[in-house]
Amino acid sequence: MAVRGNLEDSENRHETAGPEKLKQVGRSYPLHDAEAKATGRIRYTGDMSLQGMLCARILFSPLPHARIRRIDAAGALALPGVYGVFTHENTPDVLYNSQVWYAGQEALKDERLFPDTVRYIGDRVAAVVAANEQTAAKALGLIKVDYEELPAVFEAEQALRTDVPVPALAPWASPFFSKEISVGHVDECFEAPDAVVIEDRVETPKIHHAALEPHVCVAYPDHNGKITVLTPCQILYSVRLVVATVLGLPFNKVRVLKTPMGGSFGGKQEVTLEPLAAFFALATGRPVKIQLTRHESIISTRTRTKTIGYVRTAWDKAGNLLARDLKTVIDTGAYTSNGAIIGMAMGKKAFRLYRIPNQRYRTESVHTNTPVAGAARGYGSPQIHAITEINIDHAARRLGIDPVKLRLRNLVRPGDLDAGGGPPLGQAQIIACVAEGAKAFGWAQRRDAPHGTGRFRRGAGMACATHSNGYFGGFQDFTTMTLRMLEDGSMILNSGIQDLGCGTVTSMKQIIAEVMAISPDRIEAPEGDTETSPYDVGSQASRVTHVAGACALHTAGKLKEKLCREAAKLLECAPDEVILQSERIRSAAHPEKDCSYGEMVSLIQEKNRTEIIITETFQAQDNPGSYGADFVEVEVDTWTGLVRVVEVLAVHDVGRAINPGFVRGQIYGGVQMGIGYALTEDIAVDPVSGRAKGDRFSRYHLVNMPDMPPVRVILIEKGGDLGPFGAKSIGEIATCPTAPAVVNAVNQALGTNLETLPLTPERILRALACQ
Amino acid sequence: MELRFTVNGQKQVLEVEPQARLLDVLREQLGLTGAKEGCGEGECGACTVLVDNLAVNSCLVLAHQARGRSVTTVEGLAPSGKLDALQQAFIQKGAIQCGYCTPGMLMSAKALLLRKPKPTEEEIRMALAGNLCRCTGYVNILRAVQDAAGTAESGEVRKA
Ligand code: FES
Ligand code: FES
Repeated sequence: MAVRGNLEDSENRHETAGPEKLKQVGRSYPLHDAEAKATGRIRYTGDMSLQGMLCARILFSPLPHARIRRIDAAGALALPGVYGVFTHENTPDVLYNSQVWYAGQEALKDERLFPDTVRYIGDRVAAVVAANEQTAAKALGLIKVDYEELPAVFEAEQALRTDVPVPALAPWASPFFSKEISVGHVDECFEAPDAVVIEDRVETPKIHHAALEPHVCVAYPDHNGKITVLTPCQILYSVRLVVATVLGLPFNKVRVLKTPMGGSFGGKQEVTLEPLAAFFALATGRPVKIQLTRHESIISTRTRTKTIGYVRTAWDKAGNLLARDLKTVIDTGAYTSNGAIIGMAMGKKAFRLYRIPNQRYRTESVHTNTPVAGAARGYGSPQIHAITEINIDHAARRLGIDPVKLRLRNLVRPGDLDAGGGPPLGQAQIIACVAEGAKAFGWAQRRDAPHGTGRFRRGAGMACATHSNGYFGGFQDFTTMTLRMLEDGSMILNSGIQDLGCGTVTSMKQIIAEVMAISPDRIEAPEGDTETSPYDVGSQASRVTHVAGACALHTAGKLKEKLCREAAKLLECAPDEVILQSERIRSAAHPEKDCSYGEMVSLIQEKNRTEIIITETFQAQDNPGSYGADFVEVEVDTWTGLVRVVEVLAVHDVGRAINPGFVRGQIYGGVQMGIGYALTEDIAVDPVSGRAKGDRFSRYHLVNMPDMPPVRVILIEKGGDLGPFGAKSIGEIATCPTAPAVVNAVNQALGTNLETLPLTPERILRALACQ
Repeated sequence: MELRFTVNGQKQVLEVEPQARLLDVLREQLGLTGAKEGCGEGECGACTVLVDNLAVNSCLVLAHQARGRSVTTVEGLAPSGKLDALQQAFIQKGAIQCGYCTPGMLMSAKALLLRKPKPTEEEIRMALAGNLCRCTGYVNILRAVQDAAGTAESGEVRKA
């Protein structure tokens, strides 16, 4: 690792300088495994090959809803090289929910390894385990399935209708979950005679996470009844929980190892292939790999939850937001997954961005015969902010007030409480984001620039968003870490972290390095292994930097105390007179008796008979908001309906950037995902056949390099909350403001009120035709 | 069917099925797992390798089409262990996150720089149009290629 900071480290960062001068935190080190990735040396799960390993391929349902009458696997089983065919008849019928991450968590359990009634095109019918991929694929084609087709429903609002019979998808009624959060006097505000009421119906699509690595998993049994699962996952302990539950194994007989992550974005957060691979490995006694194709990853794993939002706001003429009435319809697809809690996650955000004294949020979740929804970067935030921020711009147009001014008037301020009863917002710097952003973007000029009257129209738009920093205030949130200094002065952090390619490992090293006055490359920080690592809640809920990072900070602090205490005995001074500097240790009184960390640790072992090791549990005690505002300029081709994003400025309140390069990297990627969400990405389930139209990359369009606009980033770093050095989350919030900002820009360019995402050329042309 | 070709400077004689894809032969028969399969249909570029210095999607090419040719994979970019300027720049500029697109990106960029050592920004964007990345928004990838080519402007990416 080259020990040098990135040139841009000081650029575009608005900091309130802390009292201390930081040496490691705030520098842009490269990823710990960047060189392994650049040389092709790194082994992703799909690159691994174990002695005697078999391959599994899955037969996915071609029908959206059907009872399986009979499965004839004789032909497949007769094929040489086939080790087993698995169906609902010879696999556990244990029901589970793929999103539970802690033992005892309540959730509707409706998934099993292979159901006897398939619920969507992409549901699992059977699997072949064979000597190689080719044989497995060939055998799949020989399985004969006799289906009894059942009626199906593909649209969430169809599933809510009471006037026509809705096909029974699950043992629960439709909606299977509904909830309301309400503060103040909402209805009265809408009835006030001078209230300006703005109403919208916003629809957001089911999208594919599109990690470049399709889903993959390897599992192998050992000679003592233990199953080891190699998986690029986000929550090791969630995988262990579900695998052990389905297989009926003690937790200590399931070992889960986090492998290098080829991208996730929530797509690999839930447990999908792992229990299958583990079961096949147990059943065949051999290592088994399951590697999905892109098409299979799209239709059969998880998607971003399709959401329909109804939003009404009441304003006074001056632009004060008096009340908001929000309702979401959550389409979780064929299995429950996180279908209940994601509606709540959306609702909670609605109380944390603007000061709204009167607000009601209602949510209803339904099943449909479509691909299953689940965790996805932002966990409902991209949806709820698309819904509410499009509405805010609509209001600005109607009130004749500039959208930036309208927002500045109503946004939350640092130190505000959560009107919905959630944790305090902390140093919520969204006003600073919007104000700085508007200046740097040249908002006023761009907004007033003529749109053009010819074929191409220009417009500028912006949007704001907030996201969480862990589970404090909702669920248990803590992490345990063990940190050691070895006899040569190098260090090992043993923890349950899972790096998703965002830089978790390096960030932890930087935090520890800062405390211990050591170079980050002297620290080894392997990712989690459920057999040997302490517990971690997982790389989810934007908690890693804020909570796990704080754990690293506290653990390092404790380790330093211990090192100083032990060294003081040998240096014959008080512990607080021990000085650590550049990996050397001495007492203030006798600076000449200075020795290396390694020499001191060896001496401590020899003379004091102890080890420099600390195990520390850190419990989260706050959950401030992370905030972001995106400013976007677009050009719309009114002949083709194609939108070109000309430039994006993203301003984010991150508290403190542990590694500014990583933070910017998250934002660039988040913007790419957000533009796709606004303009092109949609799995697009056909309302008649239930088939996903965007079921492969040739029909599912990610923003590519020519279409990616330049992105400028401004970081607001004012600290003040309980993360390490004040750090807050960035990975999820990074994508939240982008899509509504793009939509608002298009609406400004065209004078439309488009509110169904993505803004496809057809939708744009239709709106223009209606003008 | 016998296949003779050169891979990363090494002559190879293999027994290869007529229908085998180049990608599978590289990964499975030669253990060169650098090239990845992200889509299998020529859309993502994760499988990009060089065949006689031209970038190809190895998921779309039959292995036998490489008969007598010279194939370079990401493993062959730093033959003596010394990193290629592109690899160096990708690491330093933060062009790598999950890294799954990286081998393909590097090989497409390499093909470009072999053909055009000082490409314009537009040429870089077009040369990498077939390489998808979900992590980086391409911003630092563009910077890294410019850096390796010595055409980097200081500061931000092109202003509109
Ligand atoms: S795997 Fe070859 S282009 Fe995607
Ligand atoms: S770095 Fe993850 S896809 Fe490009």
